[in-house]
Amino acid sequence: MSSDDGALLSATFWEAGYEHLVELVHQRDALAHRRLNSLDVAVYDAAGTRLGGAPVDPRLEVLDLSALVPELAASVDRAMVTFDARYDTRVFNYRPHHYAFLHRLGAETPPLYYAVNAVLGGVPDRIGATNINNFETYVFRRQPLGARFSVVLGNLARFATAEAQLFAYYGSERVARDVALGPKAHVLVEVASEREGRRLQRVEVKALFRLASYVVGRRVDSGDIVLFDHLFTYIK
Amino acid sequence: MLRRVRPLARRALGVRRTPTYYLPWLSRPGLECVVVLNNIESRFKTGFNQGPFPASLTQYDAGGVVVRRYAVALGDSAATAEVRLEPPAPSGAGFVTVEGDRIFSDQYVTLSDGAAYTATHGRHEFVEAYPWPARLLLAVVGALLASIGRTLPAFVRDQYLYLGENCRSHLLVMNLSNVVNRVRVRVTREGGAVAARLMTLPPMGSHLLDVSSLGLAARDATAVLRGRLEGNAWFNVYVVGAGPKDLAGPLSLMHVK
Repeated sequence: MSSDDGALLSATFWEAGYEHLVELVHQRDALAHRRLNSLDVAVYDAAGTRLGGAPVDPRLEVLDLSALVPELAASVDRAMVTFDARYDTRVFNYRPHHYAFLHRLGAETPPLYYAVNAVLGGVPDRIGATNINNFETYVFRRQPLGARFSVVLGNLARFATAEAQLFAYYGSERVARDVALGPKAHVLVEVASEREGRRLQRVEVKALFRLASYVVGRRVDSGDIVLFDHLFTYIK
Repeated sequence: MLRRVRPLARRALGVRRTPTYYLPWLSRPGLECVVVLNNIESRFKTGFNQGPFPASLTQYDAGGVVVRRYAVALGDSAATAEVRLEPPAPSGAGFVTVEGDRIFSDQYVTLSDGAAYTATHGRHEFVEAYPWPARLLLAVVGALLASIGRTLPAFVRDQYLYLGENCRSHLLVMNLSNVVNRVRVRVTREGGAVAARLMTLPPMGSHLLDVSSLGLAARDATAVLRGRLEGNAWFNVYVVGAGPKDLAGPLSLMHVK
């Protein structure tokens, strides 16, 4: 591994019962030179305890979390999975942005395809990391629908506890929740879809530094995930 | 190499690029497609955060025809407007462009079956305009190459596709130019099976590529397919997720870089 390598630490959240295929790089070309130099995958429970992990052959194109994680995380329903990648910046002059395919096994709901959260690294002047990227927002439809929402947050820091605030907006009313996450810990915060007759309009996450963050929407009837999306930074 | 040649070719052909924000749309019986317009990310943009924010949406169908325009005004930076896209036919696809001088947010497009919705966001890119000599040249070269199932590979994208018994990902391919765009897709799967298809997209047109129609059999386990798309003009794709009822069931949309 060269010290000139670029680095990217990204993260997602695994849940039992889903087919979850993570593309290790996006847009791998036919010549196959678009591959990482190295990749370490690690799995953590909600408290931040490392349940396991291993180096992954960077020639692998797609990693099947539904095969990898249950062996390591048999005791938990949800785990944070981190991807610690090193790459040649001449090959990935932007970053090895990667995506994943997520589908509830046996469900009627459609699979989702989502961008895996890039948390640390990348090429700073290209990913906007010189700006504040830890102040994020997400907007919801207001029509009453049979879905419930949550925000899942993970702290990828090795040593520091991260404090964050999650705000949910219902018209002019703002509901705040404080979150403190130890190193590698994560939490799923339920956000009510309605409050005193007013629909959820948007959420905001403010943190001292960048967290892994996704908005999660589930069908009320089945609990199937129908929304698994990144938030949007305010400051671009 | 291609990256260096393209700007020179664009200059030589006189191609203009107009910055454009666009989102995909899909219609199917029982599915509602709604754009959630907002300007929330302008909240902290000094000089741009005072409403109202007028915006308009232009909806193109698969044939590249403008089928509808929508005018919206957001009262302030925290306001949202839900625009239900009226499909020209029960089943169709295309894209909408969003115009608004002071709109700086990413916009959302949702697909709902009445109970829950899936969502993704649009992309701020550009639309290419080719002058008539360049259009003529591309038409001649494109027709010649099409006769042998090929296209001029001016733009290339690699995109994984998923194919299983109970779930799959299709591709909505969008021609973001004013020329006929011949987009060739070549799909390979582990074990060497190969499928190829040449799609002809009219200017500003779209094509929903059904992965099931490529002749690769679905198996119990979801297969990961490698897709390579080549087009003679600028194009982009959105991934369309489908469950066990395929395109007759609930769907999801997802942008890619």
